[in-house]
Amino acid sequence: MNSSRCAACKHLRRRCPSDCIFAPYFPSNNPRRFAYVHKIFGASNVGKILQDLPVSYRGEAANTLCYEAYCRIKDPVYGCAGIVDQLNEQLKIAEYQLATIKAAITTALQPSYLLDQSLPML
Amino acid sequence: MSSSNFASSSMSGSGGGGGGSSSGGGGGGPCGACKFLRRKCVTGCIFAPHFDSEQGASHFAAVHKVFGASNVSKLLLHVPVEKRADAVITICYEAQARLRDPVYGCVSHIFALQQQVVNLQAEISYLQAHLATLELPTPPPQPPSLLAPPPPLSIADLPSFSAVPATYDLSSLFDPTAWNLPHQSDTLTSQFPTPRGGGDLQELAREFLARRDPCTNQPASPLPPHSTT
Repeated sequence: MNSSRCAACKHLRRRCPSDCIFAPYFPSNNPRRFAYVHKIFGASNVGKILQDLPVSYRGEAANTLCYEAYCRIKDPVYGCAGIVDQLNEQLKIAEYQLATIKAAITTALQPSYLLDQSLPML
Repeated sequence: MSSSNFASSSMSGSGGGGGGSSSGGGGGGPCGACKFLRRKCVTGCIFAPHFDSEQGASHFAAVHKVFGASNVSKLLLHVPVEKRADAVITICYEAQARLRDPVYGCVSHIFALQQQVVNLQAEISYLQAHLATLELPTPPPQPPSLLAPPPPLSIADLPSFSAVPATYDLSSLFDPTAWNLPHQSDTLTSQFPTPRGGGDLQELAREFLARRDPCTNQPASPLPPHSTT
């Protein structure tokens, strides 16, 4: 048995071949990473997703799969969709703030407003 | 609740014709999930309330391709019954997003929203400074929450998963136009929570944004999506 098995093969209790699809992205020093994706997606599905991608994209895919799995474990009902909703809320608040400030600037630049501000008190 | 309405209008039908929210195929035929899996739809099938026999099969195909029926079943079993409809919606959303974009899945949506928020807050900061330089009286008092500086934007600063709101508006999840990235920025200060010792998602976010075509805001090298067959 390979003495330096990746986290996936250790978790699955199998030999880690030299061309293991998981090894580059699930190192043995971080077993939780694979545990997350295995719990949510299953090793087989993760392997298929990675296998169907060009090698240069697999690292990013593994990262996003880990992130999705992490979100789903932490929030089994909403997963990543919970983050999306929170960001949508932040977006609405920011858009409202922006509109408010733009309106304030527009008001402040009105000639009549400027004139009122410049006239001395009599 | 909007999520329940969304679920009922887009995925669940009459529970595969079997009546009752938790019934299986009965005399009305199998649910969409069991139809896809070509198995007997038993009474109490966990998928039946959420995948009708018509469109449900195609939705379930995506879910099965990405997550696997067994994993989804286990997920749903650990979710309270009243929350399962929402869970199915979000699982379908993630599955479809992953098939559409095998590399980033729904995380691209998160990146895009995060960047929009960052850009807006930068614009707010700039305009606040501009307003201050006009040296004019401040506008009429606003509620404190509107004038308060925006909170630091970071996934890590979002409410913890244990304190999530009771309801979510899921109606925008399936609207691709809501995913558009209006601006592109070279700076991304957000950080994403990663599993302990996991990959560098912040660097991932920068690379992702650098790859987007500045003209179309589409990925510069789109990959063919997975098929559900």
